[in-house]
Amino acid sequence: MFFIKELTHTILLHPSYFGPRMLQFLESKLYSDVEGTCSGQFGYIIAVVSMSDIGNGIVLPGSGQAEFVARYRAIVFKPFKGEVVDGVVNNVTKMGFFAEVGPLTVFVSHQLIHPDMKFDPNSNPPSFASEDQIIEKNTKVRLKIVGTRVDATEIFAIGTIKEDHLGVIE
Amino acid sequence: MSDYEDESMMQNGSDDQPTRIRDPLDEEDKEEDDQPPHRTRYEDDEEEEEEEEEEEEEEAGDSRAKKKRRHRRSSVSRFIDFEAEVSDDEEEEDYDDEDGHGDFLAPEAGDLDSGDLNRRAADYARLNRRERELDDQDLAALAEDYSRRAQRPAMRYSGDLNDVPQRLLMPSVHDANLWQVRVKPGKERDLVFSLMRKAIDTEYSARPLQIFSAFQRDSLSGMIYVEARSAKQVNEACQGLVGIYPSRGVALVPIEEMASLLQIKKQEVTVTPGSWVRIKRGKYQGDLAQVLDVTENGEDVGLKFIPRIDLNPKDEPSADGKKRKKQGTAGVNNALRPPQRFFNYEEVVKVYGRKSVARRNQIYLFQNDQFKDGFIEKDFRLTAIQLDNVNPTLDEITRFTRGQDGAESDTPVDLSIIAEASRKAAIAVLQPGDHVEVFEGEQSGVQGTVQSVEQDIVTITPVGVDFDGQKVQIPARSVRKRFKPGDHVKVMTGTNADETGLVVSVSDNIVTFLSDMSLQEVSVFSKDLREAAEVGSGTNIVGNYELHDLVQLDPQTVGVIYKTERDSFRVLDQNGQTRLVKPHQISMRRDSIRAVANDAEGHELRINDNVKELDGLGRKGRVIHIHQSFYAFLHNRDVAENSGVFVTRARSLVSLAPKGNLLKAGDLSKMNPSMMGGGMVGSGMIGRGPRDRLIGTPVMVTKGPSKGVAGVIKDTNGNLARVELLTGNKVISIDKSKLRRRKPDGTLEDLDRKPTGGDMRPPSVNPNMVPRTPSWKTPGWQGGMTPNIQTAKTPAWQASSRTPNPYLDGGGGKTPAWNVSSRTPNPYADGGKTPAWNVSSRTPNPYAGGGGSGSGWSGGGGGGGGGGGWSSNNWGGQTPGRTNDTSNDWQADTWGAPTPREAPTPYDSAPTPAFSAPTPGYGLGQQTTAPVGVTRIPNTPGYFSAQTPGVFDSLDDGTGFALWVRLAINSIVFAPDSPDEWVVKHKDKLIGNKPILKVRESSGWDDGKMDKKMVVLLDVTVPRDDIEAEASASAALWENGMQVGDPIAIPARHLQPVHPEQLGHTVLVFTGTLAGKQGIVRSIESDSDFVVQIFEDQVLEDISKDYLTLCVPDQFE
Repeated sequence: MFFIKELTHTILLHPSYFGPRMLQFLESKLYSDVEGTCSGQFGYIIAVVSMSDIGNGIVLPGSGQAEFVARYRAIVFKPFKGEVVDGVVNNVTKMGFFAEVGPLTVFVSHQLIHPDMKFDPNSNPPSFASEDQIIEKNTKVRLKIVGTRVDATEIFAIGTIKEDHLGVIE
Repeated sequence: MSDYEDESMMQNGSDDQPTRIRDPLDEEDKEEDDQPPHRTRYEDDEEEEEEEEEEEEEEAGDSRAKKKRRHRRSSVSRFIDFEAEVSDDEEEEDYDDEDGHGDFLAPEAGDLDSGDLNRRAADYARLNRRERELDDQDLAALAEDYSRRAQRPAMRYSGDLNDVPQRLLMPSVHDANLWQVRVKPGKERDLVFSLMRKAIDTEYSARPLQIFSAFQRDSLSGMIYVEARSAKQVNEACQGLVGIYPSRGVALVPIEEMASLLQIKKQEVTVTPGSWVRIKRGKYQGDLAQVLDVTENGEDVGLKFIPRIDLNPKDEPSADGKKRKKQGTAGVNNALRPPQRFFNYEEVVKVYGRKSVARRNQIYLFQNDQFKDGFIEKDFRLTAIQLDNVNPTLDEITRFTRGQDGAESDTPVDLSIIAEASRKAAIAVLQPGDHVEVFEGEQSGVQGTVQSVEQDIVTITPVGVDFDGQKVQIPARSVRKRFKPGDHVKVMTGTNADETGLVVSVSDNIVTFLSDMSLQEVSVFSKDLREAAEVGSGTNIVGNYELHDLVQLDPQTVGVIYKTERDSFRVLDQNGQTRLVKPHQISMRRDSIRAVANDAEGHELRINDNVKELDGLGRKGRVIHIHQSFYAFLHNRDVAENSGVFVTRARSLVSLAPKGNLLKAGDLSKMNPSMMGGGMVGSGMIGRGPRDRLIGTPVMVTKGPSKGVAGVIKDTNGNLARVELLTGNKVISIDKSKLRRRKPDGTLEDLDRKPTGGDMRPPSVNPNMVPRTPSWKTPGWQGGMTPNIQTAKTPAWQASSRTPNPYLDGGGGKTPAWNVSSRTPNPYADGGKTPAWNVSSRTPNPYAGGGGSGSGWSGGGGGGGGGGGWSSNNWGGQTPGRTNDTSNDWQADTWGAPTPREAPTPYDSAPTPAFSAPTPGYGLGQQTTAPVGVTRIPNTPGYFSAQTPGVFDSLDDGTGFALWVRLAINSIVFAPDSPDEWVVKHKDKLIGNKPILKVRESSGWDDGKMDKKMVVLLDVTVPRDDIEAEASASAALWENGMQVGDPIAIPARHLQPVHPEQLGHTVLVFTGTLAGKQGIVRSIESDSDFVVQIFEDQVLEDISKDYLTLCVPDQFE
């Protein structure tokens, strides 16, 4: 699920950047620092929407660098149990397939795939196929997240397509 | 005994002398008193029978001896009264006594004092009276009395302690004590029997044992317990028995512990057919077996299990004895035992012959074992099998159920069997908070959370409509842990222990989950699982390598394993990069247990020190490895990335713990690793001991079977030498004393004697010593040993190490690159390998006057300027001796570079792990460390040469400092949105050709001071992909047709080509087929179309103006 969340980020700025273009630099640094990262607490930071407060830089004794605590609003993506998401199949193995839901990787075990769909070891690329549907790399699927594993820097989820309205989407 | 005495008294009236005093407390008296009178009659009439009975008990000697013994016996009969309470014995003894009374009235009287006799007489008179009274009672009352008396002792002695207040039976201070006696372990039971026999033997002797009882407990090995009044009596009893160690002390058992020693715990042995057991001993030790049947006596158990038949018997299976012997050894050594394999008639026959296997219906007989359906069926003693903690694994049970043919049986694993077997264990693993479901009984289907576990009862809070809020108590065996897909679980026990993963499916009590580490599916029993928040690392060992091992990836790279996966590692190398490696990609594990580095304060830094980064992120951590005294690998659980492992420079660390042994920074000898004795740990340069100088010596064998044979010593080991014989092409091991050195002239001499000049080998020249010429020990060479050289083993390094050191002779000049860069202050000197450098060397150089160390320093300063804001404390910290050695500091204005210090190059955030400046040797003068740079040349081609002339020339000489500056530049952080990567795109063609470029208009860089200025591009540094940094160019100002000032660092995006405008301009083609070639504009066809004569082959080419940029005239012009 996507949220807009207010977050903070600490930027250390070298004195050589102190000057008229400092704010610009801070902004770009913030973008490059946080966008695309993942925290277990908030999920993936997709994009910075705005920088609400750059804060007052405090020059650190010793190094001369300035520390800015920037507050910004960002779109974050956090997967939840039971959430239905769309993804693109990335990898198909005997055990199931991995789908990418944006930055999130979701594994769908073969036990959570409808029994009609069988793994076809002879196909190239490997696929799960039933009579009328096929799941292979780059297939778009709709799946439901049944569990997430949240690490400090990574979120991993397993999903199911063994329910109504889930599975391949055209 | 006494009872019978009494009876005899009763019988004989008072005419018999009383021999004993009755113990008034002895309940048995009454019991025996109640004996029916016919027995006494019997005794009277049948004296002969008594004799016979006596003989049964003891081997009777001649009647005289017997009488004598009886006499003695009666004198000590007092003890016997206490000692033996078993009625049978007493009976016999009493007969004896009775018998004795008749024979020995007179001696008895002599033995006993008269007072005693009188007292006894009185006692017997009283008893006699009582007997008469009894006779007077009517029969009914008598019967009632008898029955009452019979019942009471029965009640008290039945052993049914529940009916009697326990405390009444507890021993008190008045009772005899228990003594613990140490004995030989394993002999306890035998010794107790020995004591019993001894007691019986000596019973009628002059010195009977004065102990009351003895017993042992199986659970207490090495000790028996003896009941006696005093320790002395115990010691006497133990005397002469082998295996008892009274010398080790006879310890009194405290009264309160006496009862517990005699308590017997009821052992419930429940072997039910169908249950799983494990075999305790022998070839099948530890194997799972299923109980087929149990014999009636409960001693033997018929088991069915998978046989281990050796299908590759080493010796001929003809002799039965041999076979058995081998089996025995196989049982002892489990490593050699054959694998579990179902009995296959054909295979066994093939190996052991048709005769060895007999067939009866479906059962095969082989080596006295029965085989059915591939399983072996065998009877085991109950003691030889393990009934508890069987814990059959899923694998084992599937093997069992799969059957002989190995095919998956149609019926799935009978879960009930496993469930039953593992139920006990399941109870043990239940913990409060577990989610469980009830799967049997009244509450079947109820799910809930465990509140508490008490013995076998769990209290759960059901989650459901009916019971909501209520707590339910349920037998633990009726619940099982419940997981649902998506749960994050961890395996607690079994082969997959510590594996974590997300549950994908649950069927009954088997849970399948997807491992976090390997992304493989794993099936385990739910009882082995727990819900877990953390991601398990699982086993930390893959192959020979373990988590946090320092491993050598290639000659230049080492890394620390920070994560192990199923069959691979994640490794953080010394440059801070991570990679996925397989065990076979690791060449070796390195040991840094003794490695030492210096921290920022010059203190020793060792493994397991807790340190903190001074700069950068200020991370704290524990040192897990030190590599070449320079890189420190730290570990901190709080750091998220790379599982908490990170690499940093040892020099930027400071210890968190105050260190007592402060080392002054000036103590360079201590800080210089090259000056420490021996090789630097981790440098890989530890010299081996000198080779035995005897190796290679031609010798003659002078003794033994090979006497007279000549040969050459190939190896030595102690006083043994391996001699390759000249004849027979053989190598023999032979005692050195049997060898003589064979001189070329054929004469022999002792081996120990120094070889003379005529020897084959040069005198006193150890092969190992050859490289140890002084040049080896030059600072330059030692520089190689400094930790900054990561490349100690590369051929390049070897090459440079072999070059005569320039400092040795003070002149040098033999290492061209080095020489050039050190001797000539020309900034481009080291570009010696590029054609361009000659040209540029001719250009006036601002540093021409520099030279020596001073120039190096100022050059470094320039580089520093180019590099931007490195702060002076870095200088001070990292190169302590530097300021002393070098005359001018970096602010010296000997270089007129246009404001390089203002370059926006915040190197601070840069990870500069390769910073090699902090070699302590540096402080001795930069010349010491100069070879460092030199050695790096072959290692990083292009870095020192044309690729980074800008950087390099600012350094003037090849100090390790160059690395630092380079990295500083390398790590310049810019916003990523650079508009134009023109320079980067063409950098391969530009670098080395000295193109003249222009700083863009309104670049805004450096406040626009440089805008539209022309510069000569010297180098372009493109950051690594994983660093958010912008490419930076090193360039020098170009004014009035010459290069001015010091190179400065300019963000590459600000540079654009300068297109030629007139004839005669020297141009560089930067794109197209001719890219990288220089030429001169010979003709201008149109505004954009130029005819260029390429220097290289003097061909005229038609090239668009857009493909050209000006460049510094080359020597080819």
